[in-house]
Amino acid sequence: MLRILDFFDYAKSESLWMAHFCTGCCSLEMAAAMGPRYDWERYGYMPTPTPRQADILMITGLVSKKILPALLRTYAQMPEPKYVVALGACSFDGGPYNDSLAVIKNPTEILPADVFIAGCPPKPEAIIEGLEQVKQKMKDKIPSAASQGGLWKEMEY
Amino acid sequence: MKKIKAILENFDTEYVEDYKKIWIKAKLQSSDALLAVAKAVQDEGLRSLSTVSPTDFPDRETIELNYFFEDLQTKRNLWLKCDIPRELEKCEIASLTPLFPGAEWHEREAYSMFGVKFLNHPDLRPIIVSEDFIGKTPFRRDFDWEQHEEDVAKNVQAIVDAFKDEQATNEVNLDPESSETVLNWGPTHPASGPIRLRVHCDGEEIISIDPDIGYVWRALESLVTKKDFVGAIVAVERLCFMDNINSMVGYCMAVEEIAGTEITEFAKWMRVILGEVARISSHFMGLGGFFMNLGLHTLFMWNLGTREFFLDFLESYSGARIATASIEPGGVRYGLDMTMFDELQKALDQFDNTVDDIEMIFVNNPTMKVRAKDVGVLSADEVEDYALCGIVARASGVKTDIRIDEPYAAYDQVDMDYVTRSNGAAADRFKVLFGELKQSVDIIKQAKKRIEEGVASGEFNPTKDHMVKVPKKLPAGEALSRVEWARGEVLMHLVTEEKAKSPYRLKLKAPSFNHTMMLNKLLEGQTLSDIPLVFGSLYVCQGDLDR
Repeated sequence: MLRILDFFDYAKSESLWMAHFCTGCCSLEMAAAMGPRYDWERYGYMPTPTPRQADILMITGLVSKKILPALLRTYAQMPEPKYVVALGACSFDGGPYNDSLAVIKNPTEILPADVFIAGCPPKPEAIIEGLEQVKQKMKDKIPSAASQGGLWKEMEY
Repeated sequence: MKKIKAILENFDTEYVEDYKKIWIKAKLQSSDALLAVAKAVQDEGLRSLSTVSPTDFPDRETIELNYFFEDLQTKRNLWLKCDIPRELEKCEIASLTPLFPGAEWHEREAYSMFGVKFLNHPDLRPIIVSEDFIGKTPFRRDFDWEQHEEDVAKNVQAIVDAFKDEQATNEVNLDPESSETVLNWGPTHPASGPIRLRVHCDGEEIISIDPDIGYVWRALESLVTKKDFVGAIVAVERLCFMDNINSMVGYCMAVEEIAGTEITEFAKWMRVILGEVARISSHFMGLGGFFMNLGLHTLFMWNLGTREFFLDFLESYSGARIATASIEPGGVRYGLDMTMFDELQKALDQFDNTVDDIEMIFVNNPTMKVRAKDVGVLSADEVEDYALCGIVARASGVKTDIRIDEPYAAYDQVDMDYVTRSNGAAADRFKVLFGELKQSVDIIKQAKKRIEEGVASGEFNPTKDHMVKVPKKLPAGEALSRVEWARGEVLMHLVTEEKAKSPYRLKLKAPSFNHTMMLNKLLEGQTLSDIPLVFGSLYVCQGDLDR
């Protein structure tokens, strides 16, 4: 029998809104995923200008040192339940900027991601596939990785 | 050109020589003469100072400063060098900002990265670098990055502290009786991207704007020195993803110049095609972004739809939609399978199908005309003084386009003209952008026809002609290359050492830097609602703003 709480999880997972926040180049492919060919709104995704209405924070590629506090602040402003999706090689280990020491090389150790989407930049299909995995996590009631740990809890931002 | 040489004869120079067709390269004996030379060449008409590029030579105990003066009207350019001591206390030179206002941010950048002090600079604050680098010299050869990055958390804490201090002092410094306030526009504003504008305003009216940049600073200029000459294209193309091809073309031209390699005719035409496809995909984003900043998403969606077809061509050619890495020193990376042109033809057809609708509904849009025709006006004089380029310069009636002024690749054989308008308002920049979109499609058609004819007649072999070998180790030398990027002039200054495997120094001058500098001037006295409109019309990308 369908319980009411399950229904809420279902409803939440089918209308995932993401905080409109670009940290790097992968946001270009995020824009393409919004476009008419891939049209992620079919799946219920939508960017929202304010973190207060967002369910997902996307780390779109590289995270420079200067934008890290803004990223964490945006995450803190989002209401629970909230999930983090990491796009591209940069958000895993710095990617092509691994030799550049102006870039944070472990953003997902600081803010753990629930789903990694590979690519540099990932293709729009991959982004949508990754978001589908977040949906499944919500339906399965798996708590988000960032709520379980991560360096962000000890940092000031 | 003779007049410039005559001017330089009045000063003590180590050498004066011709460089390429439209450049003169000279080195001053002493840095004391710089101000006088700059004044003299400015009076001669070289009114734009493109950039200032320091090169660090620890073994010679000097920092070599390179100034690139340009005359946008008569296309005469001067590359002026001078040495200054490397010791931090003595590392000083006269600022050119009082003469060339466009040098302001470039000198601040040289100050932040190399510790060069510019005397009489009106506002010598660090720029781009985050707070943990202030007072250090990150781009000097002997800077110890590893040691600096040992404690990342401490560095991030410095940034947080600086931000909190700034927010706290804002409120103290302002008159509590007045309605003045300081707003943050960005870095999480949907229209801003990763840039923060500190907007000091009185109610609706803007008093001043101080852009805070560096949110996507990746230190590309230092990153390329850690890679080999081919690997460096990965860093160079990430200058901005929207038009990645043309920045690689510029870098490869500089490498080829030092190596003394001449690329094949076929590779030149391929660079034209790929470059224009990338330019189109960037212009589509720019056009869409202009209306999106006004709050209308329809054009953005339409443009994304057509842009996909051009990305399909890039994907069929290189395997990647955006990060193609397809231009390499020596030519283009892959051979051409003629069936790839079918994808290109589909894209051109799709463009022809939609271009009239875009023109009818958006370019001739009466609301846009009224809203944007008097906002963000730049005069032709300002364009020259501030060394603006690309669509911003052409919308103000300045005829500048590197593809015509200093043709590279096969642009000398392409039939094209400057797309200009005269008023220099936001609406004009939008229209120039649209005009160039059509121009680019026209160039692609010419290049495609030329390649098809060449292949049919046996002149080109599309699977073999794309590359000539460039040695892995280059001789000592330096080169300057300029390309017309989607947003304007990209100037690259490459320095190599003897038997070098990686660049010694690469200066990337990117157009958004100058354009963002204009925000304060354009928006002073306007209202808050004009910020997205003017910002959108300047066609700024944060990637090439911070580098």
